[in-house]
Amino acid sequence: MTTVPVAFAINGGRVEFRVEPRRTLADAIRDDLGLSGTHLGCEHGVCGACTILLDGQPARSCLMLAVQAEGAEITTIEGLAHRDEPHPIQQAMREAHGFQCGFCTPGFLMSAVALLAENPAPTRDQIRAELSGNLCRCTGYQSIIDGVEIAVRLLATTSDGART
Amino acid sequence: MSAASGLSGLVGQSVTRVEDDRLLTGRGRYVADVDPPGVLHAAFLRSPLAHARIKRIDVTAAKRAPGVVAVFTGADIARLTRPFPPLFMLPGLYTPSFPAMCADKVRHVGDLVALVVAESRYAAEDGLELIEVDYEPLPPVASIAQALSPTSELVWERAGGNVLYDFTDTFGDVDAIFAAADRVITERFSCHRQSNQPMETRGTVIEVDPDDGHLTVHSATQSSHALRWVIAALTGKRSTLSSLRRFVTDTERRRGFITAARQFIRDNAQELRRQDPAGMRAQFSKDRTSIVGINLLGIGLLGKDDYPTVKAHDIGGAFGSKAQVAREDIALAAAAIEIGRSVKWIEDRVENLTDGGQAREEDLAVSIAVDHDGTFRGLKVDIIIDQGAFPGFPAGAPGFTRIIKTMLPGSYHWDAFEVRSRVVATNKGKYVAYRGPWANETWARERMIDVVARTLRLSPAEVRLKNMIDESDMPTAMITGPRVDETMSTKKTLTRAIELMDPEAFENERRSAAAEGRYLGLGMACYHEAAPGHYEYWDSINPGTNLLLAERARATVDRDGAIVVYTPQMPHGQSHETTFAQIVADELGVPREDVRLVWGDTDKTPFTIGGTGGSRGAPVGGGAVRRASREVRQLIVEQAAQMLEAAPEDIDVVAGNVHVKGVPSRGLTFAEIAHEATVAKRARTEPAFDVTSTYRGHTDCGWSTATHACIVEIDLETGLVKIPRYVVVEDCGPVINPAVVDGQVRGGVAQGIGAVLYEHCAYDDAANPQATTYMDYLIPTAMEIPDIEVHHLETLSPGENDFRGIGEGGMIGAPAAITNAIEDALAPFGARVTDQYLPPTRILQLAHVIGHD
Repeated sequence: MTTVPVAFAINGGRVEFRVEPRRTLADAIRDDLGLSGTHLGCEHGVCGACTILLDGQPARSCLMLAVQAEGAEITTIEGLAHRDEPHPIQQAMREAHGFQCGFCTPGFLMSAVALLAENPAPTRDQIRAELSGNLCRCTGYQSIIDGVEIAVRLLATTSDGART
Repeated sequence: MSAASGLSGLVGQSVTRVEDDRLLTGRGRYVADVDPPGVLHAAFLRSPLAHARIKRIDVTAAKRAPGVVAVFTGADIARLTRPFPPLFMLPGLYTPSFPAMCADKVRHVGDLVALVVAESRYAAEDGLELIEVDYEPLPPVASIAQALSPTSELVWERAGGNVLYDFTDTFGDVDAIFAAADRVITERFSCHRQSNQPMETRGTVIEVDPDDGHLTVHSATQSSHALRWVIAALTGKRSTLSSLRRFVTDTERRRGFITAARQFIRDNAQELRRQDPAGMRAQFSKDRTSIVGINLLGIGLLGKDDYPTVKAHDIGGAFGSKAQVAREDIALAAAAIEIGRSVKWIEDRVENLTDGGQAREEDLAVSIAVDHDGTFRGLKVDIIIDQGAFPGFPAGAPGFTRIIKTMLPGSYHWDAFEVRSRVVATNKGKYVAYRGPWANETWARERMIDVVARTLRLSPAEVRLKNMIDESDMPTAMITGPRVDETMSTKKTLTRAIELMDPEAFENERRSAAAEGRYLGLGMACYHEAAPGHYEYWDSINPGTNLLLAERARATVDRDGAIVVYTPQMPHGQSHETTFAQIVADELGVPREDVRLVWGDTDKTPFTIGGTGGSRGAPVGGGAVRRASREVRQLIVEQAAQMLEAAPEDIDVVAGNVHVKGVPSRGLTFAEIAHEATVAKRARTEPAFDVTSTYRGHTDCGWSTATHACIVEIDLETGLVKIPRYVVVEDCGPVINPAVVDGQVRGGVAQGIGAVLYEHCAYDDAANPQATTYMDYLIPTAMEIPDIEVHHLETLSPGENDFRGIGEGGMIGAPAAITNAIEDALAPFGARVTDQYLPPTRILQLAHVIGHD
């Protein structure tokens, strides 16, 4: 099948490669770029495990074609930590025992980062509402919500504020 | 906990998770992330019909499609594999031997018809489009009622009917007790089909070594050893004669087998003596060909050239569904062997919802003989399980009826009990273990107790307290046989839950809410579960199943002092790497960072029949790890005693410093001791200390208990149910890591909430699945699951290892507590909740806001 070129920025670097037009962005990120931290749970846009940041906004990478990301700036779970320093959301989730099996985790972290960038001091209800596009089957969510609240506190005391 | 073991006090603390280093940074490695060089991708053609004969299948166009490497029909795979053997030796049970894929007939929508292997998943799915199949439809069996009809089409021809199992167990003089009781109250309950739905679907990569053909199977499995031996047994088929010849002529191999068999028999003599040969014979009498099949399987295993290695990495949840050996895995292994290349299959969500495991579809008729004052006299239950078409392998509905039979009486006194258990076959997905696979015994009993209380105008909490086994009654036994000791602390959890919920205060709250048109209800449910249970308990389930209580662990100290512990447990979210490190570190007197856990690789970990499941992780796996660490500590202490010229009993280990008591400044490190031991042994490559220990179950009764209590608020405009308060009082003995236990409990409760209010594997009248995406199968989100209060009681027991399991409990208690609260809230409308599934329309019907269908 014919391939077309695509180029975008991802986790601070720039990539350029050829894909079949039908290739999903998620498959391109996982298989062509080797960034397997982005997970595929349902491949029909409901579970949110494949959530990435696309120009700062959370997006379902399973519902996009790779070619649609042309020129975009993408952040995946691999791009969250700053050098060896974990992102406050990662630190907070560790403290809160946020997750169990870890499969939904990358999508939740990306959604949480997007939420905190938009609203650095969300209420518990707002956190629940904003994260309702991500499914977790292990935790019952409470520990994840707790983790976001810890991240809010960590970010409030971090001089550089919310990073994405 | 032994004071002599140099505790560093990690057990009992919510230490952060070792797993999070990789899982929070995207560095987890799940089966979908495994890509051996040159790996090919597989996709399955699945049946669009529930029940049909395959008249013709044409794969020629698919074989020619770009990127397609090979196409296998069911008939092709049948030539390359042996069928799955029948399991569960229950008298009177028909359980079929069944193929990895279908050659002649499909038995449910999603059944396996063909397998395409291609250069990419995209190309494989393109190939599927080009396969032509002519089906001759057969009348589908879509419900329990249809399966019970003698005129329904047979799902399994040799069964002679669609009722595969029908067995009645009786304890006490049921007729006399029912005749003597003041009254008998009867109700019928129905539980709908649900699905485990881990966020990671199933998946397997069969890696073929290009040089010697050795298979390395990477899989999301709850039991890597079981998967290894089933793949070995069913694939790489050679003729029986050549297998036998191989076994006879290859002396080394023969000796290896005989030694291993002797070891197994010696290790498990007591359990093996308890097997039930009469039961097995009774089962084989239904289908004598199965004896031949099982023997061929065994001979095939003996004569194999090579046995696969199974490696499991991170696993994205399972909840029982990955305890199954998938038919897909057998087909994939056969295909990979045949084409000599590595093959990868990652299930998609539609496949997972139709064939990845479903559960709980059961009808239960319950009668309780009771006196006017609420004293329970007798219990009678008639349960019918819809197992779908294919039996779960190795854990399926027939086996679960035995747990249900044993546990139905719950934590209460009864004078008599009878249960009739039936398993029927239908043209639906397979019924598998789902977190507390027997849980409907708790739902039906606890629901029924509320019905009894309401009928007698008594408080449900009082009726429970009145009939519940009290500590002062102990030691005693359940009417079904298993002993109960202080670990069966259900009554303590109930008492605490009543205090926490304060029913009187709730009545005030209910009244003021009612004045505003809001309907509140309070519901409770109590249970105890075998986690892991006593030997006798497993005997009462099925003779011989107490083999599951034995598990090994290996603890080693390398020459550089590194501590490595090997477990056959298969963590998939339960945080074993953290909790087992807590146990080992406490036993050895070292920081937990010094302990590394190895799991998932059959070349490295001790053999087990089980794996992770059945709430066995902490009690059985943890028990084995604890025993192995204790023994390795003893070796370290003895070596150190020699080096320090002291008696072993005078040696102390604190924070990794091994020293004579009171002289920490002249201590030795593990590395120094290990180095000295290695020099002494002159074996430089072996670990310095290496102990494999077998843990053989608790000396106590090993019960885990809980009471769930919740308040619901029902909106009669929308039919939506809110849960403003949910409380769990649980007792799993000493808690290793409270945050981990809380997480297990809350996750289970969330699945229970999903089960009652949102999740349903609906099928239409033609057995077509109606919930094949997450648009129709509704997994509850953060908006639907409330905060859940978890309170721990920690009843200690005199046993060597009193950790008790907690993995399943949340899901066992929740459906009963929630449905009880809903009936309570709808009491003003005279509602009687008999279905477990209560979506908004059903709520509105119960409240007579809308009419019935």
